Parts: sequence; C-alpha cells; structure tokens
Amino acid sequence: MLSFSAFGTLGIVHSSEERADFTSNLFKPNGAGYTHAWSPDVDSKVGGQIIASLTSQLSAMVQAISEQNYDGSFTPHVEWANLKYQFTQDASVRVGRIVLPSFLFSQSRNVAYTNPWVRPPSELYSLVPVDSSDGGDFSYALHSGRVNQTWVGTYGVTDSKKPGGGTGKARRLWTISDTIEAGSLTAHLTYQQGNLTISNLHTLFGAFRRFGAQGDALADTYDPYNRRLTFFGAGAMYDPGSWFLIGEWGTSEFHSVLGKSTAWYASTGYRLAKLTPYLTYGQLRGTSNRSDPGLNASSLPPALAGRATGLNTALNSILGSIADQKTVSIGTRWDVLKDVDLKVQYDRTRLGAGSPGTLINLQPGFQTGGTVNLFSVAIDFVW
Amino acid sequence: MKIRSLLATVASALLSVGGNAAAADIVAVVSSASAITELSKAQISEIFLGRVSRFPNGALAVPIDQEEGSQARDEFYLAYTGKSPAQLKAHWAKIVFTGRGQPPKAVPNSSEIRRLLAANPQAIGYLERSAVDSSVRVLIQP
Repeated sequence: MLSFSAFGTLGIVHSSEERADFTSNLFKPNGAGYTHAWSPDVDSKVGGQIIASLTSQLSAMVQAISEQNYDGSFTPHVEWANLKYQFTQDASVRVGRIVLPSFLFSQSRNVAYTNPWVRPPSELYSLVPVDSSDGGDFSYALHSGRVNQTWVGTYGVTDSKKPGGGTGKARRLWTISDTIEAGSLTAHLTYQQGNLTISNLHTLFGAFRRFGAQGDALADTYDPYNRRLTFFGAGAMYDPGSWFLIGEWGTSEFHSVLGKSTAWYASTGYRLAKLTPYLTYGQLRGTSNRSDPGLNASSLPPALAGRATGLNTALNSILGSIADQKTVSIGTRWDVLKDVDLKVQYDRTRLGAGSPGTLINLQPGFQTGGTVNLFSVAIDFVW
Repeated sequence: MKIRSLLATVASALLSVGGNAAAADIVAVVSSASAITELSKAQISEIFLGRVSRFPNGALAVPIDQEEGSQARDEFYLAYTGKSPAQLKAHWAKIVFTGRGQPPKAVPNSSEIRRLLAANPQAIGYLERSAVDSSVRVLIQP
C-alpha cells in the first residue's frame, strides 16, 4: 500500500540590514538584506513524501524537498530515504537516511505547518552544523502509567556541500535521545557526537603548517579536520490546548576554530479561535576565545612575515565572527483554511559586540554588534 | 442556593481541561464483544493521538476516526485531547513527515463506525450518543 503526502511554505522575508544576508540554515548561499530586499528563498520550499507499506512490519519511506540549495538552485534533494522494520508496536529500526533528532522540532522543522512560528528560533537551531545522517536509527518506546518515553539512537555519516564551494563531512556520528510525553507535557533530551571536517577551513590551516612548529601548534588547535563535535540539548513544551510554553537549551563544542557555543529560547503563545499570537526570546553565545595572537611574524624574514600576518588576519576574522546574538520575536499564526496557515512575524535581533550573529555574505561597511529588524510572512500547507 | 450552584458550575468549568462541557453528546465506544468496559479520558486521548497502541489490559487498540470536517470528530478531539482541527492536523503531520506513523483510519459516518466495531473487537471509536445501539458499548470514564 502506498501513501502520498506533501507540504510546503511560500514565504517572504525583509531585513533592515542591507550589508549582510539573513537566512534560515547553514546551507543556503544568500537571503534577505543584501541579496534581496524581500527574499523568497529564506523559508519557501515544497516537499513530497511516499511511504510504501511492504508488509505489516516492513515499510519504505522517501521524502524529497525543493528549496534554495547551497549553489542557489532549487533541484530537489532527498531529505529522508529509509527502510523501516517494526519489530513490535514499541520497537523499530530504520536503515538509510534519517534526519537527526537534535532538537524538539528538528525532524519536522521543514514542515512549517507543524511549528508555531515562521521558523524555529535561529539562535538554537543554528547550533549543530549537521542535520541528517546516512546510516540508521532505532526507536524503543516505554510506557509506565501516564508517562510515555521514546528512546532513539542514531548512527551514521553525512556529507554536505556548503555555499562557496566547501564541503562538510561528519563521521562516526551518533545520537541518543529521549522524548518523554506525559499528558500535555513533552520533554526532549539529546546527546550527539561526531567527527567533523570542514574542507575550506582545513585548506587555510594547511597554510599555517608551512610555518614549522608554531604553525603546526595553531593548526592542531584550530583545524576542523576530523575533530570531535559534541552537543547536549534539553527542551520541554507544555501545551494543554489553548496556550503553550516552549523552552529549549543546548550547548555544542567543536574542538576547532569554531569552538563552543550555548543557546536557548523560550516561547509562549495563546490560542484565540483561529489566531495564535506568540512571543519568543532567544539567545546564542559563543563562549570560546574570540582572538588569537597567531603566528609570531616578527621572527620571520619579511617575505614570510607578510604571509603570516595575512593568515593571522584570516584566523582572527573566523574567531571574531563566531555567532553571538539575542532576538525578541513577536508574531501570529492564523489558521486560514483547513490544512493552510498564514504567519506574520517580526524579529528584532541584537548582534553581540564584534559579532555578525548568524548573518552571512557580510559586505564592506557592515557593522558588527548592531540591531537587525526582520519582517516575515509565510503561508504553510500540508496535504 | 442558586448562586452557590452557579458558582460551582463556573468553578468546575474554569478548572476543567480543554472544555469538556461542549461535547457532552460524543461518547467513546468499543464493540459490545470487547472486554474493555472503562477507559479514562486521558487513556482514550493517548490511543487516538497514537501515543499508545494498546489498551490497559495489553490488547491491541485500533482507533477509528470519523471523517475530517465532521462535527463529531471536531467535538471529540476538542473534548478528549484539547486539540482544534488545525492542532490535530499539525500533530499528525509531525508524525507522518518523520516516518513515525499514520493517523487512524477514518470513515464517513456513524453506521460505518458501528460496522467496523462489530467486525473488530480491538477497535475503538466515538459516536454521538444518539447513534449508540446494542452493537457497541459506551466506555465508562472512571
């Protein structure tokens, strides 16, 4: 038996910052602000899914999404593709591509109809640089009284292409997560670990290694080549029907130039018939050192000293641009039609001192540490 | 005396979860051949939201829905789960698009519910009280 379903979002975003782009994930090359005054690329997407039930226990799933890709194209990519074997009502194993359960809304984040907001808060949801895994997962549900718990474990690898030509590779990537549901309360705990390589930064640190022992020492500290990433997250949602309160916190450490960051948000909304106005506060802090003296250029011959200074500048620009920001968002969801909602959201983001926050494509004249106003309108559907 | 009973009504309405007063005529039912006689509102809600797949006695539970857009369905979910049609849609979209399950099978009317319940003692459904007959058992809520 085959079941088809689809979802999508048609959205447009305006940013007050004209010298940088705001976008919604780490894989998009541009967005609202510098590239487009009003960008349809931040949130718009369409996805389709087929599930084939092969036997009562075995099923196959494929979900493809068309959205702005790393190279600006809209060629559909496969988001999920796996075979699932359901051993019992409470235990299953999937083999293939799965989306990682890092946060409360990670696995369903593309189906904006299921979220209260236009998009999950960027502060927390930008914390983990990987979002899917080719390998598999297992799921085991436990029931005791009114408490239902679902343990999920994932293991796999992932390769992704980044805007500007770089690639990201994650190896030995695993997750263990627990989702606890008790009446109106849902809680989610996650630990995730993997070894990551970011190719274009690795090239930069290759240049450091030509400066002997001091260059090697810097590269050993900062080169994101097969380096351990760890993430711990905890979140909870209370939703008795007419209102909701959601809070999530996470901390990630990538043993490289990208360092350590911690983020959280809290959001509340109230349902008035078909309208659900909401208010969210989110914060992201980079907690590693933001500068490094780098190579000692004074001990080098003039020709090499110039190169060393250039490399030091590149290193410090990466350390200095670690995302740090706070956002207050206010918006509303309107359930316009059966299966269709319309959302309007205003975000006011204060960038941390010296930081561009999560903005990309920084242009000459861009001021760090400023304030950015975002205005978003989105129509979401499921079918 | 009248004021006191009015206050009691207001207080119970304020304290009740998810507005159960509006849907007094929707009842949860199983086949009269089923061994299940009582289920709490929370247990019924968890079966219909796909959070549990068994009755408290361990038997498999097969929820059957009324058609989307039907008044019985909207009233049932509001009363038992506190969810509006859009919230229910979002609940299932989250499950479907993460490959974790499918919503209950839906049928167009109450006679279809009764027919499916008669054919399957594991099935559980809901009906307007006026549509209840001897083929089904109304679940007692402790």
